[in-house]
Amino acid sequence: MSAGTLPSNVRDPGFPTERENYLTNSKGFLSWFCTLDHKRIGVMYLIGTVTAFLIGGLLALGIRLHLFSPEGWLFTDNWLGSSVDKNTIYNQVFTLHGAIMVFLFIIPSIPAALGNFLVPVMLGAKDVAFPRLNLSSFYLWMFGALFFIGALLSSGLDTGWTFYTPYSTTTDSSVILATLGAFILGFSSIFTGLNFIVTINTMRPPGMTWFKMPLFLWATYATSIIQVLATPVLGITLLLLIAERVMQIGIFDPEFNGDPVTYQHFFWFYSHPAVYIMILPAFGVISELISVHSHKHIFGYRFIAYSSIAIALLGFLVWGHHMFTAGMSSLTTIIFSALTFTVSVPSAIKVFNWLATMYKGSISLTTPMCYALSFIFLFTIGGLTGLFLGTLATDLHLHDTYFVVAHFHYVMVGGTLIAFLGGVFHWWPKMFGRLYNEWGGRLSAAIVFIGFNLTFLPQFVLGSRGMPRRYATYDPEFAYLHQMSTIGALILGIGLLIALVVLIASLVNGKRSPANPWGAATLEFACTSPPPYYNFERAPVVGDPYDFHDIFWDAENERYVTAEPEREIVPQTVPEESPAHAGGQN
Amino acid sequence: MLDHNQLPLADVNKSLWFPEQASSFAEGVDWVYDTILYISLVFFVGIVIALVWFAIKYHKKKGEPAESQTSHHTPLELLWSIGPSFLLVYMFVVGAISYLDMRTPPEGSYEIGVEAYKWGWTMDYGGGTYHPELHLLLDEPTKLSMRSSDVIHSLFIPAFRAKKDIVPGRYNYMWFKPTVASEKVSDEELAKAKKATGTDAWDYDEYQFTPDGYRFFDLYCAEYCGKSHSEMQTVVVVHETQEELDAWIKEKASRPDDVAPEAWGKTLYNQRGCASCHSIDGSKRVGPSFKDLAGSTHALADGSSVTVDPNYIRESILEPKAKVVAGYNPVMPSYKGQLSDDDIDSIIAYLKTLAE
Repeated sequence: MSAGTLPSNVRDPGFPTERENYLTNSKGFLSWFCTLDHKRIGVMYLIGTVTAFLIGGLLALGIRLHLFSPEGWLFTDNWLGSSVDKNTIYNQVFTLHGAIMVFLFIIPSIPAALGNFLVPVMLGAKDVAFPRLNLSSFYLWMFGALFFIGALLSSGLDTGWTFYTPYSTTTDSSVILATLGAFILGFSSIFTGLNFIVTINTMRPPGMTWFKMPLFLWATYATSIIQVLATPVLGITLLLLIAERVMQIGIFDPEFNGDPVTYQHFFWFYSHPAVYIMILPAFGVISELISVHSHKHIFGYRFIAYSSIAIALLGFLVWGHHMFTAGMSSLTTIIFSALTFTVSVPSAIKVFNWLATMYKGSISLTTPMCYALSFIFLFTIGGLTGLFLGTLATDLHLHDTYFVVAHFHYVMVGGTLIAFLGGVFHWWPKMFGRLYNEWGGRLSAAIVFIGFNLTFLPQFVLGSRGMPRRYATYDPEFAYLHQMSTIGALILGIGLLIALVVLIASLVNGKRSPANPWGAATLEFACTSPPPYYNFERAPVVGDPYDFHDIFWDAENERYVTAEPEREIVPQTVPEESPAHAGGQN
Repeated sequence: MLDHNQLPLADVNKSLWFPEQASSFAEGVDWVYDTILYISLVFFVGIVIALVWFAIKYHKKKGEPAESQTSHHTPLELLWSIGPSFLLVYMFVVGAISYLDMRTPPEGSYEIGVEAYKWGWTMDYGGGTYHPELHLLLDEPTKLSMRSSDVIHSLFIPAFRAKKDIVPGRYNYMWFKPTVASEKVSDEELAKAKKATGTDAWDYDEYQFTPDGYRFFDLYCAEYCGKSHSEMQTVVVVHETQEELDAWIKEKASRPDDVAPEAWGKTLYNQRGCASCHSIDGSKRVGPSFKDLAGSTHALADGSSVTVDPNYIRESILEPKAKVVAGYNPVMPSYKGQLSDDDIDSIIAYLKTLAE
């Protein structure tokens, strides 16, 4: 990026017309629900996952309010007129909170909502490889979500989101409805992953080699590999669970000669890699955010890219660390502990690289950057506290306590949710063509940060002092820390509400967004905001996605513009005829 | 609302992070914890300082170019990739060594059986003595052989830094050596508490000592096991001498001569987990209420009906799945071998008092 006078050859796509713009070029209910446009599908996913998040968030507030007092404060034996006892209500609430947040929000949020919108545009392509599969994956998501709501409305679900046997094979709550829901959601996840793998493999425009891809695409690619390889295991496990419940075939239930620990192996063989489905895309988002808002080339591009792949592969080898106390052999536990430590290396590499990217940059403290800084702080705590759980001696004490609750919330919420919010604020002007109120955005980031830490820092202390998790009531000596946590949760809720209000207000009265509101060099900022239906008129010129040399600040019009095209053009490697779908004209 | 005794640092004997160290493992585990904590803090503080410093120092107005566009520095990257790995290996090794100590019980450990069920504990002291409290001997390596009669539970004693899942269908073992004895409260204090409690179930949380007057360590179920998971708690008492422990076991072995069967039945109702599923005030829990039960007629799940006489009560305790009351699930564990004939007679006598 350069200051001073603008060169003469700047390019500014300006603003799209009603007809060019993907949001308005066709109208009506059917034009959305039958759309094959990846951007519209991304927007529908965004609405769906955010709705799921709001429901899961309200349940979380219910949990925290209930735990304000040791005997339980919110739920009573005849809560809302039902005569179910309060512990049962609490157990159903925390189960649904976990299941909704994991299956309906964290797993699909970044890959399906942001990924669907961004992957083709960042590639400079017109759409994903299989647009119809893409739409069907959204419908599967909706369908799976309906099963979850069905489970909630029929007889509740009280197994915890992990469905551990033999509790889940013997309880009379709606285990089958919920697991069928998770099974269907698994298909949705596999379809999305498959689509992205094929899209990234085949639809990169001329010149976009693997190492010219934005890091968000690397992260998405690594995530998709996990989605395609690990999710079927979950599907099979859940089907076996249903079979066990219905037919008592004797796999998991000791009453029929099954072994409950087998279920744990199966379940975590998916669900540990799933943790990386949740966090890898967040790494991708943060890499984009830090580089763009520091206006500096990402530091150690290759190390970051390789570390994504390394995490995806190592993530398959560490599932046993969820079962250190379950009764595996000493050798097995030691091997799993050692493997677990290997995953922390690539994660640490990323943090160091982000810091080095900021060093000597030109940092703008925009809303997305505030969220990115918040992410680094929170994820570092989440990652470092994982060390206590990977270490065998300390894990025995901390396993199944609030320490674990705090750790995974720092990773999943402090990591994924914050990255998701940062990503939404970063790409919002691109997606909807409107700028939001920057002060409101930054205020939301600050309040979310304060509220989050107040909620979950006390839980580390609760856990190491011995407070077990999933308790509806607790010993009075823990009350003080629980109350701090509840107050934090309310502040966090307010912060998130402000973020929502700021974004929605921008749709009503936000200024129109220029094509490149942040001065980014990735391809999605080369087309107008919002993008036209086919994204690009012609296959865009591909350069280094983190080269800011020919991005200029146009002070007169208050926008970033790009000088055309002084960056090195990679020689055409593709023969004369490039595939029609690769962003070229039909 | 805020009681100062609840403040984590109010008690000087307790650190911020941990409960009291009361087993031979505790010091080692806390040491490993502190070691990781300090290493992590060094990294965390460094990262946060860099983060804040860079964000302030390199904060620039729109359009000002970055001072550098350096995109990589391979030696530096290799350094920060490989360097921390040595610390990770160190953490892994110290953690694994302490862990192996915790896995292998010494030969000749004192052995106690544990049965976990929804939602309570039965400790088996041998010779037909069962009690929900875990009583141990100071400085004596103790091995628990644990089994579950329904779902997965997990035995967790925070003060011992010890935890192990109890998986149905297999025996799981754990061991520890208690290093802090439970003090005994004064007779006056105990008498006062007993008077205040009256005939109700003992409230451990309120008095912070057992009905026998011992201070205790908490024992929790740490694996989610359904409705009353959070109430599946008991206490650990560490005796100073073998004689004291033996005397306690002997006292709990059977009904003392001066206790009426009805009163003993009530004690068993509160101690042996009946109360978690069967109310005595008519409210519906997992199982039918005991109020007005004896002598009544019950519809059974198979459509027949049964009169609740001593035979049926005895059968329900020993073979709970044989005749299940309509509207309830067959989830009660069998107490066969855990209750003596006198115990069962006492329970029957107690149930009769509830139907008068």
